[in-house]
Amino acid sequence: MHRDSRVKWAFLLPAALWVLCFTIFPLVYGLRLSFFRVKIGEPDEFVGFENFVQFFQDERGLQSAAVTLIFVLSGVTVQMALGMCLALLFNRDMPLRGLLRTVLTMPLFATPIAVGFLFVTIFYEEGGLINGLLRWDVPWLSHPHWALVSVILVDIWQWTPFCFLIFLAALQGVSEDYYEAGRLETKSGWMLFRHVTFPLLQPTIVLVLLLRITEAFKVFDIPYTLTSGGPGSATQVLSMYAYRVGMRFFHFGYASSISLILFLLVLVTVSFMFKQIRQTYS
Amino acid sequence: MNSLCLRTVILCLVVVLSIAGGCGRSSGPDSEEEAGGVVEYKHVTWHDDGSLDLTTFEDGEIIGLSKEDIGTLFGPGKTPFAGQRIAVAVTSQGPKGGISGPLYRLRPAWEELTGAKLDIVEVPMADLLNKTITDLRFGGGQFDGIIQGAWFMGEYITPGFIIPIDTYVQDPRFPHWDPGWLPTPLKSIHAWGGKQYGVMNDSDGQVLYWRNDILTNTAWRSAFKEETGKDLPFPVKTWQDVTEIARFFHGKNWDENDPEPDSGVVMHFRVNEQGMFHFMSLSAAFTVLGGEKVDRGTNNYWFDPDTMEPLINQPGHIRALETLYELSQYGPRAQSSWDLGTAWDWFLRGKSIFVFSWGDVGSLVQDVSRSSIKGKIGASILPGSYDVYDMNANAWVNVDEPNVVGNTVGGSWHGVITSTSESPEAVYSLYALMATQPVSLWNVNRGWTGVDPGARIHFTPPQGSADLQGYLDAGWDESDLTFYLKAYRDNFYAKTMLPYLRINGAEEYWRALDQNLSETMIGRLEPQEALLRTAREWNTITDRRGREAQLKQYQESIGYDLLPHAPR
Repeated sequence: MHRDSRVKWAFLLPAALWVLCFTIFPLVYGLRLSFFRVKIGEPDEFVGFENFVQFFQDERGLQSAAVTLIFVLSGVTVQMALGMCLALLFNRDMPLRGLLRTVLTMPLFATPIAVGFLFVTIFYEEGGLINGLLRWDVPWLSHPHWALVSVILVDIWQWTPFCFLIFLAALQGVSEDYYEAGRLETKSGWMLFRHVTFPLLQPTIVLVLLLRITEAFKVFDIPYTLTSGGPGSATQVLSMYAYRVGMRFFHFGYASSISLILFLLVLVTVSFMFKQIRQTYS
Repeated sequence: MNSLCLRTVILCLVVVLSIAGGCGRSSGPDSEEEAGGVVEYKHVTWHDDGSLDLTTFEDGEIIGLSKEDIGTLFGPGKTPFAGQRIAVAVTSQGPKGGISGPLYRLRPAWEELTGAKLDIVEVPMADLLNKTITDLRFGGGQFDGIIQGAWFMGEYITPGFIIPIDTYVQDPRFPHWDPGWLPTPLKSIHAWGGKQYGVMNDSDGQVLYWRNDILTNTAWRSAFKEETGKDLPFPVKTWQDVTEIARFFHGKNWDENDPEPDSGVVMHFRVNEQGMFHFMSLSAAFTVLGGEKVDRGTNNYWFDPDTMEPLINQPGHIRALETLYELSQYGPRAQSSWDLGTAWDWFLRGKSIFVFSWGDVGSLVQDVSRSSIKGKIGASILPGSYDVYDMNANAWVNVDEPNVVGNTVGGSWHGVITSTSESPEAVYSLYALMATQPVSLWNVNRGWTGVDPGARIHFTPPQGSADLQGYLDAGWDESDLTFYLKAYRDNFYAKTMLPYLRINGAEEYWRALDQNLSETMIGRLEPQEALLRTAREWNTITDRRGREAQLKQYQESIGYDLLPHAPR
């Protein structure tokens, strides 16, 4: 028994060390940095909440926050809706279902950095895949509004399969008995979805929503590679702004405060949703 | 649970740590025996007269160095730095990419000559400064040397992160190179406060390239006259000339490669890349007045040297941005999202009359796998302006001859030695070997190295001492080369130069400018508003970093002479 306990801790130790080194320590150190003005070659200077106040007076910071919110709200909404539609479509017998399902999930396994670079070529305006083949003249990356649309579209392309897979798994866990009972009341597919499928899938929907929102707030790779935050600052998300402030301009204290603000934003959003869920199910 | 499980756990940990330890660094091939023992030369051939031939890695090309070039440190059987291992950080372009490629090519030979080992640590250009600064600030000691961009200097100097190399330069033991080969503007960005910090390597500056075959074509010249009622203003003297020509050619199909319309000009305005250099090099003609001194309105561009107030929103700068914006209307719409490579590719494919950019363009034109315009280009120092804003008199002046201003915008990537290095002499020997005349010329002859000409030894007679045949053997078209070398010679030896911003936070100032420029190019901001916002942001940056410290550093960097200066 005692020996089993030692072995148990031996297996847990690497994971615990990993979490300590790469999650707890950076969080604590970042929190500490956010209260200091850090200059290269000089001692750190305690400034209290000055960095946090600065953010709310920083036009670029606030703009980045707004871009991030637009990205999260529109991207996640479309991913969820599209993922659900695809899941409903695939939750039935159809030819080549297995093959099509595999193809649909492939974007999920591509690294975001590579995806960003790939879509630079796809969105290339002077004869890229879309404008060239379809003979469109869309300023995908050179117009501020279209650039944001492009970033959102790429994110949708990559993460809809995630929603699709989880919804499909949940759908396949719904007993046919519920639908049989429902068909006694109505033949309408929409009514069946609204009164049978949706209520039963609610826990899954909430889970996917939480996961996607948390990830979407942290987006970095796709706007960084696709547009570099431009044109202008049209696609500069908050995480990218924090990165630039810290790692390009060496304003480590301010960058830490931006990161913490982003963390708090996500925390508040997730906490609010959990509260709503508890209220719904209590 | 038993010892087998525990052994499995330990084995997994060992594998993971081994993989982690092997990431990121590139070490050289083994090519020698132990320190002080017999050296097996595979990339070095010694001759009886003390000269040697270096064989470059992979290409197998031979570079001959004389006894005078090589110094006294190296010799047959000598391994002066045996047992030492140095790490040099460089922008990540790969073993056959710009700036990093030459290090790979030379590494085996250097290791055989020194007995030391070289780790080439490639870092994406955008992260090179922050990675090295972070390491130096927190005492990581990971890097012995850095191939830095010239604007890094201010960040390294004040905290003492790099060391001066004057004693090494004078030391006859080391491979020979002479800072005097460089024209003053380039020499100055390798030094600080009268001390030498950098070893010559790359020389950056923007010049104007054009399609000479089109602009000298009689039919096109007649068409221009017919459409505009004026003669084609070629050779161009001013930015207004460039704009007129670009306007005429934009939207017409004048290249034979495809049926699509072409552009008058192409630029790269992708934000957080290098778009701001276009503005800097163009605006110099409207803003920088030359003279024998340095003060607010003479040989100055960035800040008031008495108060550190930004000058970026002066009327000259605003007029320049208006000119740049107008010029951009005659380029592809997508250029506001294009990076350097994409814009160059447009020109190399023959889709644009003009581009103004670095020496890499001239080299890449010679690469027929990428270029359809070899033998068709012209090049010159950037055009000037008849109207220049005098920041001393606070008034426009109209000059008789266009105010033509040279520039050193860009990185001019060169080697510096970190203060944490335990092998500074070994690092210097590497840089010095690369800076010797034969090796430097070898790099400059080959465009893929990213090493552009700037030193006297790179230009052909009568301006310099380089052998034309070396360039021709490397694949240059003679007509292109003639234009190219003259353009760069004129640029780096111009009477008036755009001062280089090298102070603490240079990148932050540039990024603020870059974002506002990008907003202007997409029509979101008027030029005046963009530069006003830039000036405000610059003031915030200056105050945060310490106005007095910034002012002092700025004065040092531009060689500000406090007395006398023109009254404002």
